[in-house]
Amino acid sequence: MWIDYKIRRDFSALQWALPARLYARPVELYAGAHLSAADLTDTLQRLGYREANQVNEPGEYNANRSRVRLWTRGFSFWDGDEPSVYVDVNFLGRRVDSLRGNEATGELALARLEPVEIAQINPDTGEDRVPLALSDVPEHLVNAVIAVEDQRFYSHFGVDPIGIARAFVTNVRAGGIVQGGSTLTQQLIKNLYLTEEQTLRRKIEEALMALALELHFSKDEILGAYMNEIFLGQDGNRAIHGFALAAEHYFGRPLDELELDELALLAGLPRGASFYHPRRNPQRATDRRNVVLAQMMNQGFITQQQMEQAQAQELSVSARPTQRGSGYPAFMDLVRNDLSRDYDADALQTEGLRIFTTLDLRVQNTMEAALGDAVAAVEVPDGPDRPAGDPLEAAMVITDASSGDIRAVAGSRRPGYTGFNRALRAVRPIGSLVKPAVVLTALESGNYNLASILSDAPVTIALDGGDSWSPRNYDNQMYGDVYLYDSLQRSLNLATVDMGMQIGVADVVETLRELGLESNPPPYPSVLLGSVNMSPLDVAQMYQTLASNGFRSPLRAVEAVTTGTGERLARYGIETQQVANPSDMFLLEWAMQGVFERGTARNMINRLDSNLPLAGKTGTTNDLRDSWFAGYGSDLVGVVWLGHDDNRETGLTGSSGALRVWTDIMGRLDIQPRQSFAPSDIVFQRVAQQPVRSGGGLDCSNAVMLPFRAGQLPDPATRCDNTDNLIDRLIDRVRNINP
Amino acid sequence: MMTRISVLLLLSLLSACANNSGASRPGAPVSTSEPASVRDAAEAVAPVQEAARSFPVQVAPQRVDIPAQPETAPPPPEPVPETPRERAAPAGTPASTLLASVDQAIADGDLERAAAVSERALRISPRDAYLWYRLASIRYQQQRYGEAEGFARRALSFAGNDGDLSREINNLLGQISQR
Repeated sequence: MWIDYKIRRDFSALQWALPARLYARPVELYAGAHLSAADLTDTLQRLGYREANQVNEPGEYNANRSRVRLWTRGFSFWDGDEPSVYVDVNFLGRRVDSLRGNEATGELALARLEPVEIAQINPDTGEDRVPLALSDVPEHLVNAVIAVEDQRFYSHFGVDPIGIARAFVTNVRAGGIVQGGSTLTQQLIKNLYLTEEQTLRRKIEEALMALALELHFSKDEILGAYMNEIFLGQDGNRAIHGFALAAEHYFGRPLDELELDELALLAGLPRGASFYHPRRNPQRATDRRNVVLAQMMNQGFITQQQMEQAQAQELSVSARPTQRGSGYPAFMDLVRNDLSRDYDADALQTEGLRIFTTLDLRVQNTMEAALGDAVAAVEVPDGPDRPAGDPLEAAMVITDASSGDIRAVAGSRRPGYTGFNRALRAVRPIGSLVKPAVVLTALESGNYNLASILSDAPVTIALDGGDSWSPRNYDNQMYGDVYLYDSLQRSLNLATVDMGMQIGVADVVETLRELGLESNPPPYPSVLLGSVNMSPLDVAQMYQTLASNGFRSPLRAVEAVTTGTGERLARYGIETQQVANPSDMFLLEWAMQGVFERGTARNMINRLDSNLPLAGKTGTTNDLRDSWFAGYGSDLVGVVWLGHDDNRETGLTGSSGALRVWTDIMGRLDIQPRQSFAPSDIVFQRVAQQPVRSGGGLDCSNAVMLPFRAGQLPDPATRCDNTDNLIDRLIDRVRNINP
Repeated sequence: MMTRISVLLLLSLLSACANNSGASRPGAPVSTSEPASVRDAAEAVAPVQEAARSFPVQVAPQRVDIPAQPETAPPPPEPVPETPRERAAPAGTPASTLLASVDQAIADGDLERAAAVSERALRISPRDAYLWYRLASIRYQQQRYGEAEGFARRALSFAGNDGDLSREINNLLGQISQR
């Protein structure tokens, strides 16, 4: 009686703990999309698409260098169903040139692939499965399982004495175990109650439970449970349960795309998933598959011809299981951080949630492939003046310049490194990366324009408590009177401090907070030179706001969460808030583009020839402990940090270290040029190349054209354009043309 | 009537040229944002013809259930008054395809999906002022006024010399400020 009760209770409430699955941003296909044929092919392979000469059904593709034809599988996204369509994609270099459907789809403006599953959050049991209704299980598979495991499944009552006898005879004839005596019902019981005990008492209990199960539940319910429950392999610390997941695991494709020979192989696995493992023991697996096929034919499920054809197939298991679990640990760290606000660990491990992230596999994989070598290329070897210690480390964050979506993250120079995540947790002084905030504060004050003259001269600032602070330039030189824009582009410390002390450090801190800094550093003068501690992710947030012209959007890694069946649970939409005036942002941007054109990043100008204009800033901290670069185009923001975990010197400036790594990776990603549009109150005027404070000595022979806000024109002492009269201006301009 | 339209067309073309020459600094790439379309200018003086092919930007206030703050929710806002406009995006483009889905989602009463699809369209055309404006008005309908304002300001920053669109955005901003 107790067994009867237990079985009814447990089986009715049968609800597997299902891991949460995380998906990358799906690839969108449309004319103009930033995607090469190779990128698309790579994604299709990750999705387990099969290369075919003729694309006849979902999950197949055919590719060459400039054209990819494919048939998508369709996917139930949280923002709507994506249909399964045939798409013919033509490429022009690294972009999609055109998209065509077929007769059935007609005109096609865009299509979305299924998202690549990047990771999952597993239950403590380590069990993983993709539950499937029995009606969705291919008929061949059901037949194969019945043929080989329990021929009399539909006629016995849970245990099968005839079956045991027959199995015994068959096995003796075959000289080994080809058939088992346990019914599917018994096997299911064994799996559900997880015991390897082989005692007689245990066997009897199992048989009684099987009888009880049969009494209360239909054959189809039992068979359906079996199909999802049965153990079919081990992948690291993850146990593969059920045939749907096994199809993904062994073939990288969904169950309904598998052929007879592949289904027969899976049907042979319950007998010994490790013994018949198709990757490790291909011969045994092939033999077992052929036995299954023979049994199917013997029992009339397939014809002899079908059997022979299937037996002649080569094993078609995918070379490696689709990467999971260990993939993208730094990004996963961010996702966990984001999700922990709304979901407890248990929900993530057991409820089969689907989590749609912002990870862009093209960007992430490109970065991972290049980062290690790029860091090695700039690394300064340890020498007599640089004692050995922890190796040079790196972190990189790449976000979408418009939305703040996190597209890629590296927490180490080694991709896949699961330890200390520097992108999130290496909180370091940012050095000159702070200077755009100083300049923005100055422009916003209304007292400065790009041609304001700053004094790059020694200064000693008295601090609270009687100390004093005497900053220096990086090269220990002094440059006297300099234009504001020039001081930013050449990253002059003394000129920045001159200006920063006039506008007030507290205002600079306020600007930093507007740009996205969450901490609230005390307004010490050293803030002006970047003694503010931030992680690479914090820096990405700050530069994100600059890249979107003064609109702050919180960085996000998760876009939506649904149940396993696609019902929307949560959505994290874009948000945006304007924190700076567009005209001030335009002026700042102009100056920051000059960092590449003539400032501290000009050494990269040739390598970024096709990408400029870009905006960015180098950062170097005391004694070269941190090397930073943050920069952006119209599509992406990238932040690179280089440093040692033990905080010793790197021997690198922002320019000689992080900038080079940034350039290497952003160049591979084909970062897009900035597009800046002057707000209506911006005017361009020429100023003398050399700043002059008083009327005399104005030399307009090599005048520089700069943007200004209409109300804040350059000082007449430096101005080379006469704004009073258009004719004068024209004459002036002609006069100044150099032959 | 025809003369008035042609004059307007001419003016809008001229102003588009003026913008391109003056806006970018020397060496900067030429503008690729969506300038005021000629058709929009024509529509401004011909609202009567327009009604036949109206583009449902907003729906009547019946639709919204607001999951965010159900107890304290103020009465549903007035729908944003605006000129129905044919979108500049030509038919058969990703933007027009997705805008049709946005309309469908609004018609289904699923404003969150409408917002999501707008975001998807913005991933493809991040500088499209009209898409930002759509997102702003969806958030406005959801009574998420803070977010609506951010999107509307972003829309305005990309509207360039599209006078009609700028006016619509400013109307929306005016309504938001009264909330």
